[in-house]
Amino acid sequence: MSTSALHAENHTHDHHHKESFISKYVFSMDHKMISKQFLITGIIMGIVGMGMSLLFRLQLAWPDEQFGLLEMLLGKWAVDGKLDPNFYMGLVTIHGTIMVFYVLTAGLSGTFSNLLIPLQLGARDMASPFMNMLSYWFFLASSVVLLISVGVETGPASGGWTVYPPLSALEKAMPGSGLGMTLWLVAIALFIISALLGGINYISTVLNQRTKGMSMNRMPLTIWAFFFTAILGLLSFPVLLGAALFLIFDRSFGTSFYLSDIFLEGVGALENVGGSPVLYQHLFWFLGHPEVYIILMPALGITSEVISTNARKPIFGYTAMVISLMGISILSFIVWGHHMFITGMNPFLGSVFMILTLIIAVPSAVKAFNYLTTLWRGNLRYTPAMLFSIGLVSFFISGGLTGIYLGNAAMDIQLHDSYFVVAHFHLVMGSAAIFGMFAGIYHWFPRMYGRMMNNTLGYFHFWITFITAYLVFFPMHFMGLAGVPRRYYQFTLVEDFGVWMDVNKLITVSAIVAGLAQLLFLYNFFVSIFRGKKAEQNPWQSNTLEWTSPIDVRLHGNWPHELPTVYRGPYEYSRPDRESDYFPQNEEDADAPEVLHVEEKVTKKEEAVVENSVFFAAIKRVFGISR
Amino acid sequence: MKIHKKAQEMKLNLPKNTFNLLTKKLLSLLMAGMATVMSFAQAGTDVIAPPQEFDPSSWNWVNILICVLILLIILVIARAFDIGGLAEKITGKKVVSSHKVNAYVALIVLILGLIGVFWEINAHGKLLLLGDAASEHGESLDSMFMWTFGFTFFVFVVTEVLLFGFMFKYYYREDRKADYFFHNNKLEIIWTIVPTIVLTFLVLRGFNVWTKITQTPNDKAQEIEVFAYQFGWKARYAGEDLKMGESSYTLISGTNPLGLAVEDEAVKLKSTLTTEVAELQAKLESADDSMLVWRSALDKMEATGLSNTYVKEHKNLKEKVLDAESGAYVRLIKKDIKRKETNIKRIDAFRSKPEIFNKESYDDRVTTELVLIKNKPYMFRFRARDVIHSAYMPEFRAQMNCVPGMSTVFPFTPIKTTAEARASKGNPNFEYYLYCNKICGAAHYNMKIKITVVDSESEYKTWLAAQPKMVAPAMEALPAGADSTSVTPAIVAVK
Repeated sequence: MSTSALHAENHTHDHHHKESFISKYVFSMDHKMISKQFLITGIIMGIVGMGMSLLFRLQLAWPDEQFGLLEMLLGKWAVDGKLDPNFYMGLVTIHGTIMVFYVLTAGLSGTFSNLLIPLQLGARDMASPFMNMLSYWFFLASSVVLLISVGVETGPASGGWTVYPPLSALEKAMPGSGLGMTLWLVAIALFIISALLGGINYISTVLNQRTKGMSMNRMPLTIWAFFFTAILGLLSFPVLLGAALFLIFDRSFGTSFYLSDIFLEGVGALENVGGSPVLYQHLFWFLGHPEVYIILMPALGITSEVISTNARKPIFGYTAMVISLMGISILSFIVWGHHMFITGMNPFLGSVFMILTLIIAVPSAVKAFNYLTTLWRGNLRYTPAMLFSIGLVSFFISGGLTGIYLGNAAMDIQLHDSYFVVAHFHLVMGSAAIFGMFAGIYHWFPRMYGRMMNNTLGYFHFWITFITAYLVFFPMHFMGLAGVPRRYYQFTLVEDFGVWMDVNKLITVSAIVAGLAQLLFLYNFFVSIFRGKKAEQNPWQSNTLEWTSPIDVRLHGNWPHELPTVYRGPYEYSRPDRESDYFPQNEEDADAPEVLHVEEKVTKKEEAVVENSVFFAAIKRVFGISR
Repeated sequence: MKIHKKAQEMKLNLPKNTFNLLTKKLLSLLMAGMATVMSFAQAGTDVIAPPQEFDPSSWNWVNILICVLILLIILVIARAFDIGGLAEKITGKKVVSSHKVNAYVALIVLILGLIGVFWEINAHGKLLLLGDAASEHGESLDSMFMWTFGFTFFVFVVTEVLLFGFMFKYYYREDRKADYFFHNNKLEIIWTIVPTIVLTFLVLRGFNVWTKITQTPNDKAQEIEVFAYQFGWKARYAGEDLKMGESSYTLISGTNPLGLAVEDEAVKLKSTLTTEVAELQAKLESADDSMLVWRSALDKMEATGLSNTYVKEHKNLKEKVLDAESGAYVRLIKKDIKRKETNIKRIDAFRSKPEIFNKESYDDRVTTELVLIKNKPYMFRFRARDVIHSAYMPEFRAQMNCVPGMSTVFPFTPIKTTAEARASKGNPNFEYYLYCNKICGAAHYNMKIKITVVDSESEYKTWLAAQPKMVAPAMEALPAGADSTSVTPAIVAVK
């Protein structure tokens, strides 16, 4: 054990009460432990969500086959090993919900925002550790409710993860719209509460808790990404909560927000008049579109950090990266209509949303080119995290380009709800964000557990996952362009789609291989927690502050003595004037000839900090925030 | 101390630089995997040669077990190489850097990936619905597709080649140092401006086409109503009067599936509803008695132990008793009565409006197939009965959601008959279909209606004449002035 760690331990003994098991591991208020809780829960939900996708992929590839496994797993939903159409829809719905909300929102943003915001900013903890703890427990409750909903007698919610009414509002329209749907709404309401508690915390921590010298423009891009993500979530999740509440009213209290002129087989004409199903879609996608960026931006932030560190090169165009993140955040609020071009919305609105949507491609393109330039003439270290980050860039480009088709209202007529859409979003926000999450896990695993993951297994994990992900999603573009609709239980009843059966088999086989490859990751992850090689203090020779907090003891408060002071930006790699190829943010510049220059810079930046702090003091006064 | 540390490191270390043999294995595995996977797909998409069937029964649990085994083997190999690496570290020999190995894998993946992409375009390109649109606006849409495809494909190939090329070229070497290159305004301006210009071009084109498709009024277009319900489609054509009658969801019944304004049907529906309400009232009055009957039946069942034999019946009965005793049973009946009474009132309100019950719907034809004439403009008006559906006609590049409580429209002009499409596709059984493309329930995947495009007006008229009228002619009083034999100019095919 190093001396600093010993100091740290003494220090903790001096200042903290000995924590009991419960307060240390269960109801912990330490952001590092909460981030682990988010991560483990997210991984478990990810296993469930991905497992579900394999189950319905089996159905799509071999619709006439009987799978004993299905009957064993699902019982009455797969009599004789053949998946029930209603349950197929249920699986599709819950797979989408789990992946979008539970894995890629909470699992990704929850984990890394919690871990990195205080550590990279040089803060002892979140602005409000108690709220942070609540955020996790609401998330866990929400996960449990959602998983319970899969087991109810009438099946889980089955209207697709967007749960459009009237299908989701009328119990008689579909078995899954009964108790399963009620539980789905409860789960989502709990989830929103969790997201809001977390988001408020992230924003206030970023604004208030930065250490000395950490001006906004010296923050790592991860923090910028988490910051904008939290703002997006804070502004858009309440709208989904409103939409969900209206849906609950329609379902249980006889209101007609979304219902009008409905005749149901076996029931007759309903009383509801005057509502509009399209209203729900507007409300849903007002969250739904920012949600895409809530998922993606943390992954992009992680990628920026990992690529810069492992390319041993400053990230290219730091300011452009921040501005494009900001641009994406702002634009993401005014493009939701591109999910609704053909819902019967006024065609003029369609034109407006089309123009706004294609504008959002510009900041995205800037980001992609900046990543490429960062790699150019770098000295690339292929840690598994670096590979996953590069994989993310590849998916971000190939999935982003197809967005140009879908954002174009005219082409969307043909492609809406086809497999092209499935391919597009699975690449650009599914695979890309998952890869960002893997990159984050491999990169910050030493920070979380004080041990290293096995690189070799990581390489296998990356290459198998990367290749199979393309094998799964790339052919789907072609299916979509041939007019194959998504969410079909089987394609054999339509002769035209029969030619795709072999492609369906290819996709399913690839998906199974991809699923098995994740076992490598799980093995690596869980074994490394206990038996991995002990990590060095700064295993990746990184500049950011999280590697200055003692890695081999868990310390609530992060730094044993005073907080580190920041002297420069986070990406000073391979400076020509220095021997070593990195320059930690907290290291004082000892190089005499450079001092003048650097000091000048520092003072300028400190002035900026003063300005900033005046600004934020004003904000604090207005909103009554105090440290 | 130092020695001790080193020893400790060796014990725990899973070395990084141990990759030479492993890589060879990895590469051969990857290539073998790619080859098998490709052969699956190749087998199926090769239309001419009889495809080498991928027998699904061979993909059983044994195979999955084999996969698991392979994975275990990979695990073991990986662990073995860690040990190998450890040995190499002890002997102090330099091994191949994992960075270099990954760089080469990246190059191979790039090359194989690009081959795969071109192969895929070659194999599936002919299946895509591009370049042979069966509708007038579809042609401009297809050309835009091709432009967008050209642009995105170019960018895709260039960026992926750069990405993996950089990966190959700039892998980590200890004697190198990365460029301290973090900013270049000129470059950044270039890649902000260039995408903006290209996107502007694509947006303007899309804007024009979209506006043309959705906002061009065409007075000569014939209107066809497409009606969606769980789980099927119906179409309605105007009869000899060339006018679509009014309709309402309140009037929907077994004999009037589209809820058209037909006096007799409305009367019939009203009387059915009235009877049902009376039945429900009777049920309500005897609710207390039924409750007692059910309760005693349940008690008897439980006392005699029959509940163990008839588990399901017991459960149902118990639910019934619980409902009755909690008042839910009565509440539900009351709710149902209220709903039906509201419906009766609404039917009465409709019937009092002569502008709705104007007999225009009497000669309307409700069909289970769509027949269109080539080169004739159509305006489709969509209605949904229960939940949202989406009318998707991929061959015509047309799609519009069908929303309950809202009427949506989509216009298009078919330009290829079914016979022509069969000839050009070389498939004598080809049919145009309209599919449902919005998740709507269990049978969503089998909700379609056939579309036939015919060459001539006369074919269409023969077909239409064979379709039943909403109200049989004997009952129908012909509207004054309507001449069923004359062909009104509006119906003459344009262009």
